[in-house]
Amino acid sequence: MTGILLLRALSVRNQRVWVVFLALMVGAAIVNALISVYFDIDIKMSRELRTFGANVYLGPAHGHSLPEADFDRLAAAAPPGLVAAGSPYLYGTARSELENVALAGVRFSALRALVPYWQVEGAWIGVDFDDRNAMIGRTLAARLNLAVGDSLSLIRDGRKKTLRIKGIIDAGDASDSLLFVGLELAQDWLDKPGTMSHALFSMMNRAGEVERFADELRAAHPDWAVRPIRKVSANEGDVLVKIQGLMGLVSIVILLLSTLCVNTSLTAIVSERQREFALQKALGAANGTIIRQVLLETLAISLAATVVGCLAGFVLAQVLGQTVFSASIGLRAWVLPITFALSLSVALAAAALPLRRIMYIQPASVLKGE
Amino acid sequence: MPEETRENPVAAIEARHLSRRFGSVAALDDASFAIARGEFVALMGASGSGKTTLMNLLTCLDTPSSGELRLNGVDAAGFDEEARREFRARHIGLVFQQFHLIPYLSALENVMLAQHYHSVTDEASARRALEDVGLAHRLDHLPSELSGGEQQRVCIARALVNEPPLLFADEPTGNLDAENEARVLDILRRLHGEGRTIVMVTHNPALGAYAQRIIRLQHGRIVP
Ligand SMILES: Nc1ncnc2c1ncn2[C@@H]1O[C@H](COP(=O)(O)OP(=O)(O)O)[C@@H](O)[C@H]1O
Ligand SMILES: [Mg+2]
Repeated sequence: MTGILLLRALSVRNQRVWVVFLALMVGAAIVNALISVYFDIDIKMSRELRTFGANVYLGPAHGHSLPEADFDRLAAAAPPGLVAAGSPYLYGTARSELENVALAGVRFSALRALVPYWQVEGAWIGVDFDDRNAMIGRTLAARLNLAVGDSLSLIRDGRKKTLRIKGIIDAGDASDSLLFVGLELAQDWLDKPGTMSHALFSMMNRAGEVERFADELRAAHPDWAVRPIRKVSANEGDVLVKIQGLMGLVSIVILLLSTLCVNTSLTAIVSERQREFALQKALGAANGTIIRQVLLETLAISLAATVVGCLAGFVLAQVLGQTVFSASIGLRAWVLPITFALSLSVALAAAALPLRRIMYIQPASVLKGE
Repeated sequence: MPEETRENPVAAIEARHLSRRFGSVAALDDASFAIARGEFVALMGASGSGKTTLMNLLTCLDTPSSGELRLNGVDAAGFDEEARREFRARHIGLVFQQFHLIPYLSALENVMLAQHYHSVTDEASARRALEDVGLAHRLDHLPSELSGGEQQRVCIARALVNEPPLLFADEPTGNLDAENEARVLDILRRLHGEGRTIVMVTHNPALGAYAQRIIRLQHGRIVP
């Protein structure tokens, strides 16, 4: 009979039941999506914020240069997955056919990851060993009156090296006055083989890992100056924490709102059905029996709403992932029990007071004739 | 029934100085009477005379302010809510003026609900109860698909399905036309003939004539 009551009661679909269903469904969907993203965001946000560019500097503690090999030593010492990109930088002055220019040797392949904010007219150079092309800062290009596709020749001791301008850089910093060439070419031309002025790295900064690694390096290599480029590194962690906090807050607010909504609807449902409950009492039903019956109905609706909500939440997580992080959000199985637990808690919390009211329904006064 | 006493083995209902006050209003005032087992009694009086108040006490839906009440020999005046519920489920059949069926349950399921709260459901006997009131062809209809007379007969079947010793009907034909009224009264008379104790509230003297005896109320007091 309990089963029949449940089925029949559920087949009466009034508007309020839909409100309960929708409130729980939307709550479950958003919470499910936010939880999925929340735990993905550590990785995804870090990757996202890293596009702000290099966040670790390696330079000589004394003097003006250090061996290029130190670049690889640092990379080798890093925990796996920490270093996303890096390049040695070698600076110097070279004569061109026009005037003296400030030269920077780099590994072109890492450049996009290190300075993603550069606006480049023409094209980036993609490979490290390219010694025919160069990229040039906007200010320097203007001074030398160079456009993309033009050539510039470096001159030294009767040697001449002609470079084609492949891209003009608008960086908004000192890079705008530099001529960027491949590292090997710069080392050769400046007569500083196997040397670099400093190196820049882009590292994943999860849970202050970069800071810790930098401390280790400073202790192990007194000849190195290792600095997180704080402006980005520290903010990165801050922003992560703030965004996660915001998502937690949004989840709590959504859960509270849906509790409120379900509570209001259930209160209305109980008062609309009070004749029914009064009759059941008159027939000899105990409070507990009726409350259990209504609780069963509520749980059935909640379960259905949560199942639909989880599906919707998975889709929502993908949309969030794609639009915000350009990545798909993995489906973690353990997000489901968390969502179900939260959703059912909401339903139970919302049902507590309305169901208590059933106890106070007096059949004599509800069913009286006339 | 081990609770039964031997004092007055024939009395189904015994009231002594029974009163029910709502604040300063004495809705029932010092009522004393007895109803024997197998009796068919009509409770009559003008509107507001206390008929429903008395019925609520006799059906354990309410507790008296003072006085004694024995139902089937059991002291019912001192019942707490749980004891009243238990007694209703076991010993009392209720028929209301406004039918009061569960709207989303079929006729058969409405009858089975009373079995459910009494003990266990038994579809065959629920079916029989509906057949007894002439509704064999309406078992699977929802209340909204039944006429007023048919709904009231479902209520009677529901009140009878557990075979309670006491059957109470508060204005059972108040919302019915003459034809259905006659059918319902016929059923009540038949049940009386089968030996059931029936208390029926009515303010219609023509209906009162169907009963063996009339208890009259006026301003909350029983009058001769
Ligand atoms: N719950 C209640 N609270 C206050 N007064 C009540 C209540 N129930 C009944 N009364 C009063 O008791 C008197 C008898 O009412 P009732 O038993 O319903 O009469 P009847 O059923 O004969 O029409 C009336 O004056 C009514 O106003
Ligand atoms: Mg009345």
